[in-house]
Amino acid sequence: MKTATKHPALARVSSGILSRPNSPDLAAAAAAPELQSLGPVGVKEQPLTMSSSRFWTQGDSDSEEEEEELESEQGSDSDDNGGHDDGKRSKVQNRYLRTEDDDSDESDSGHRVVRSLRDKRNEEMKSIVDQMRNAMKINDWVSLQESFEKLNKHLEKVARVNESTEVPRMYIKALVLLEDFLAEALANKRKMSSSNSKAFNAMRQKLKKNNKQYEDQIQKCREHPESFEEDNADGKDADEDEEEDEDSDAEIEDPEKIAADSDEGEESGEDEPWVKKLTKKDKLMDKQLLKDPSEITWDIVDKKLKEIVASRGKKGTGRIERVEQLTFLTRVAKTPAQKLEILFHVISAQFDVNPSLLGHMPVNVWKKCVDNMLLVLDILQQYPNIVVDTTVEPDEKETQKGADYNGTIHVTGDLVAFLERLDSEFFKTLQCTDPYTKDYVLRLRDEPLFLVVAQNVQDYLERIGNLKAAAKVALRRVELVYYKPQEVYDAMRKLAEQTEDSGEDGDAEAGDEHQAVDDNRGPPPFVVIPEVVPRKPTFPDSGRVMMDGLMSLIYKYGDERTKARAMLCDIYHHAISDEFAVARDLLLMSHLQDGVQLMDISSQILFNRVMAQLGLCAFKAGLITEAHGCLTELYSTGRVKELLAQGVQQSRYHEKTPEQERLERRRQMPYHMHINLELLEATHLICAMLIEVPNMAASTYDKRRPMSKTFRRLLEVSERQTFVGPPENVRDHVMAATRALNKGDHQKAFSVISSLEIWKLLRNKEHVLEMLKLRIKEEALRTYLFSYSSCYESLSLGQLTTMFDLSESHVHGVVSKMMIQEELHASWDQPTSCIVFHSVDQTRLQGLLFQMADKLSVLVESNERAYEAKTGGTLEGVPPRRRGDGQDSSNFGKWQENFVSSQGRQGGNRSGYSGGRGGGSGQGGGYQRNDRGSQGSRGGYGGSRFQDGRGRNQSGSSSRGGDGIARMVSLNRAVRV
Amino acid sequence: MGEHDLTAAMAAQLDRHLVFPLLEFLQERQLYKDEEILEAKIRLLNGTNMVDYAMDIHKSLHGTDDVPADMVARRAEVLARLKSLDAAAAPIVSFLQNPQLVQELRPDKQYNIHMLQERFQIGPDQIEALYQYAKFQFECGNYSGAADYLYQYRALCTNSERSVSALWGKLAAEILMQNWDIALEELNRLKEIIDSKNFSSPLNQLQNRIWLMHWSLFIFFNHENGRNGIIDLFFQDRYLNAIQTNAQHLLRYLATAVVVNKRRRNMLKELIKVIQQEQNSYKDPITEFLECLYVNYDFDGAQKKLVECEQVILNDPFLGKRIVEGNFVTVPLRDEFLENARLFIFETYCRIHRCIDIGMLAEKLNMSYDEAELWIMNLIKSSKLDAKIDSVSGTLIMTTTQVNVHEQVIESLKNLNMRTYMLAKNIVEPAQAAQQAAR
Repeated sequence: MKTATKHPALARVSSGILSRPNSPDLAAAAAAPELQSLGPVGVKEQPLTMSSSRFWTQGDSDSEEEEEELESEQGSDSDDNGGHDDGKRSKVQNRYLRTEDDDSDESDSGHRVVRSLRDKRNEEMKSIVDQMRNAMKINDWVSLQESFEKLNKHLEKVARVNESTEVPRMYIKALVLLEDFLAEALANKRKMSSSNSKAFNAMRQKLKKNNKQYEDQIQKCREHPESFEEDNADGKDADEDEEEDEDSDAEIEDPEKIAADSDEGEESGEDEPWVKKLTKKDKLMDKQLLKDPSEITWDIVDKKLKEIVASRGKKGTGRIERVEQLTFLTRVAKTPAQKLEILFHVISAQFDVNPSLLGHMPVNVWKKCVDNMLLVLDILQQYPNIVVDTTVEPDEKETQKGADYNGTIHVTGDLVAFLERLDSEFFKTLQCTDPYTKDYVLRLRDEPLFLVVAQNVQDYLERIGNLKAAAKVALRRVELVYYKPQEVYDAMRKLAEQTEDSGEDGDAEAGDEHQAVDDNRGPPPFVVIPEVVPRKPTFPDSGRVMMDGLMSLIYKYGDERTKARAMLCDIYHHAISDEFAVARDLLLMSHLQDGVQLMDISSQILFNRVMAQLGLCAFKAGLITEAHGCLTELYSTGRVKELLAQGVQQSRYHEKTPEQERLERRRQMPYHMHINLELLEATHLICAMLIEVPNMAASTYDKRRPMSKTFRRLLEVSERQTFVGPPENVRDHVMAATRALNKGDHQKAFSVISSLEIWKLLRNKEHVLEMLKLRIKEEALRTYLFSYSSCYESLSLGQLTTMFDLSESHVHGVVSKMMIQEELHASWDQPTSCIVFHSVDQTRLQGLLFQMADKLSVLVESNERAYEAKTGGTLEGVPPRRRGDGQDSSNFGKWQENFVSSQGRQGGNRSGYSGGRGGGSGQGGGYQRNDRGSQGSRGGYGGSRFQDGRGRNQSGSSSRGGDGIARMVSLNRAVRV
Repeated sequence: MGEHDLTAAMAAQLDRHLVFPLLEFLQERQLYKDEEILEAKIRLLNGTNMVDYAMDIHKSLHGTDDVPADMVARRAEVLARLKSLDAAAAPIVSFLQNPQLVQELRPDKQYNIHMLQERFQIGPDQIEALYQYAKFQFECGNYSGAADYLYQYRALCTNSERSVSALWGKLAAEILMQNWDIALEELNRLKEIIDSKNFSSPLNQLQNRIWLMHWSLFIFFNHENGRNGIIDLFFQDRYLNAIQTNAQHLLRYLATAVVVNKRRRNMLKELIKVIQQEQNSYKDPITEFLECLYVNYDFDGAQKKLVECEQVILNDPFLGKRIVEGNFVTVPLRDEFLENARLFIFETYCRIHRCIDIGMLAEKLNMSYDEAELWIMNLIKSSKLDAKIDSVSGTLIMTTTQVNVHEQVIESLKNLNMRTYMLAKNIVEPAQAAQQAAR
């Protein structure tokens, strides 16, 4: 049950993450966040920047929009510019719309206003310009061309009417617009239909010719765009005045009017700077809701809420002002339940503020969101009859029930989803922030804030008996704590307490200020909620205690994934607390490694992190083989960074699509959770060195399977170097130590290793180095004995103790072990206390003979197996297969076992048994090439038999064994691809 | 003295009544103060119906004749309950006490129930009463009566849950009556049920297995064939898992059993693997001895541990069972253990030595020089040891058997020929037969 090597699972993890980038689970992972964004918060709003950028790029496919979005995310200055230009444009547009409205109104109502011809012409011209703009929007060059011609024709008319040669500014502006658009379209040429592109080219030439006439004016327009807009702006202002007049006339009780107004307000607001606009809106709000606070009824607030909620996702709704509006509403909410409902909307609106998957929520919004969550919890604590759930469809008027209502009030909402979103936003900020900046540290300090909310939510859920959800929340808390060693945990605890004392003042001030501002702007909240929920996290004394408490809750009520993740976190925490045995037992008894490849990627990453930490822990405890077992698979692919999600490695062989890269970036661990890669590498290589060096010394003749292929490869590379410089990185150090150890020079090996910088990262550095020293001495002794035992007849214990600086009993123990395990053919001479060597070393020929004997028995065995597989019965008259009796056959068994595993790995999709069989016969055939005879054909027979069994017709391999093996290999490859 | 005492860990997994023998043993060994043990006994008895016994202990503990009022009250309560249960179970008890009537029962449960209902008006209520009555008897310390009733109850009951608990009760009763053969039977029956039954949670099953193992210690260290039995039971995968999960202290008994049992030497390797895995959660001199000897090859350490082992065995209620022969008090297990352990050390020592000083050997084996020489001579004579004594220098010289390389190669290739021949024959013959048939 308990073995410390569990690489297969790991290998599968790595393949799960890396070699199948297009596997369904990845796709699912890719889809999940998008779903998430759609799910809880509803349809995403079209971001403001997006709609405006359409002007520029005429993006009509979603992906393009996304790119745009990205750009605008990254370069905020370009965004700003865009904003200005947008402003201009929308002004013109608005103006147009308004006038159009006016026109139709007039025609509808039958009022005929006599207008001057000049105005009429101007009007017409404007409409043409607007048509052009529309055409630009959809990238329709054909209609653009038509409009342009119409515009030119119209120009003559206008000139005639105006009786002046002066060209209207509007015309010039249109030209500028066209020119810009043309340049833009030229710059990023996109696909156009043939007619479209023809029109485009024609347009280009015409415009060029046309613009020459108005060159200076265009120039002027570019230099002083304001002067060209004066008239428009004037018109605009007038419009707004009108609106405001209307507003003031509007009655409070007319919500539709309010809706229309606020919509208009928002629309018109876009051309104003933010602040101005907000104040304007507030004014608006105040007008309606402040005018007579007593008159505000539940209905008004409810209607207003619905309307704001409905505005989500509509073009031209600012996300931030939506939050503002809703926050305002919370203050005027009439009942606690209503307040709660609105708060939920505020929170989801706050989540909406950042539309992108890659970016994160602004920190201040996040903090406000935390406050809101706390407020929600306050309400829930204060009014225990309010129930939050998603299952019951609440009544229309459910929230109308006041604080004194006795029955339960249902409010739709999902606290856990909010909390999880809050957590992932926090995680994302840390991902996106440069870890070397102060921002990162500041952000990390917000962790207790989240922990408070999580703790309170969990308490609440436990109180109402929703233990499943509580387990989920507990997992979130666990995931914030599990990677913290006790020191860091203490620091966090201290920080949390400090913020209460010193930080409180600052917060309070800020809060007061905030409050003050709020008070100035709005009425005092109708529903006053005292702070009942604690605002300060409580931490048990040690991380272990906290983990244990949360764990027991999760194990009892969590679902499978929660439990698995919690278990992994638990193991991780045990590992960093240097409790290897506990961590190992937990891992083995939970059988997590069996199912890890079925888990989602982030859990797989967590698993890899656990394995890495377990390896470090084992190393610190001096358990070299266990540590090696844990780490070797992580390093076998050479993509540790990716496996641990601590950075992206460029792969030489296949390019990643941007999609994949983005996904990968989203999986990255924040810096403070990283496992030091250098330390990990050093640990792995040192373990491999301690195992591999004696192993290499022991097997000079027979090529025993290397314990660590990675290490062997590195060693080969370093041996190929013509000039060996002083070691620079971790790898060089270990290689230098290996060279020393190979010669039995334990002092040098240790001094090289101990000169590594990374040891200072270890808590008990002296202890670990002491352990390492001892292990190096031991292995040096073993290596020495393996290499030079053939040169000695006898060797005294005293000499060995002085050579390797070990105690007598230690040397005695090590040597005795080697004797018992028949690694060393020698025995003690007790009276003189020296080792007497037996000259049992085989000659090269004898060694080869043994190998041949082994291989022959494998061959026979595989033949018999093949026969059995064919006939289904055992071979009669043949003595039962020798397995596990006698030293010789055990040796043989080992050989074959190794082979099975290596073949199994090569074959990939074959079962171990058949893989071994095919490999065995193939190998036999290969061997027979040297020794052609009757056996040769049998070897080939074995191979072909196997292939027939697999349903593959392969003729011709039967006669020549050598051929057989070649085909086997190529076949394997074919299968693998 | 009591540092390696497992009583506390064991008692948690045993029935109240089963703890008494352990406490008796401790009292005898005087590992703890008498008062402490008596106190523990009283607390133990509080949960049972053996009120009189508790009163006696109380008297001897405090040296007075006064008995606390609650004990007196409890006594009355117990008596009253006994009466009511007696009355409830009377019909079926009287039925069962009549051998002729019992003869009429058949193996068919349905028939029995039907028959009882028809002829004696004994319904399920009475049968249930029998169970309660038996349980009460057990609580009162009347084990033989409880065992009988429980046996009868099992023949009649239809509730499988109840049947299992009746079986546990029977097992406890038999153990307390020291009927080892019957107890072993019950143990096996219970084991089958535990292994085959579907438990609501694996945790339950694990707990049941652990109980079973603890209870079985009584049997295995007293039954004549117990030493094989314990190895067979504990080395089963599921039970070994249970030990490793939640009852690591049982390794002591397993280790002792393996050391003592000459025929199960092959289990040693597995045992050592387990001991090594669990060394963080459990160790005592016995496991450490094996670790010293077979993991670290530290012979001096093993020697030291062996001395400690003796104490541990003497202080263990299961291992340190005494047998009084005439004036001698012997602890057979201790002698066997020490003998075998010495042999282990010696064997391993010889395997890696070419030449050993007999004087040193004698010292290590706690024998005089002559004794040691005699012992070694006997070993050589019985061809257990392949060595010669060099009496001039006082050393033992091992004869190393060098297997000739050629022999090895030939040995390994010997039967390949035959196997291949058989293979060929088996292939060719059907083919020829087919050809002939085709002709």
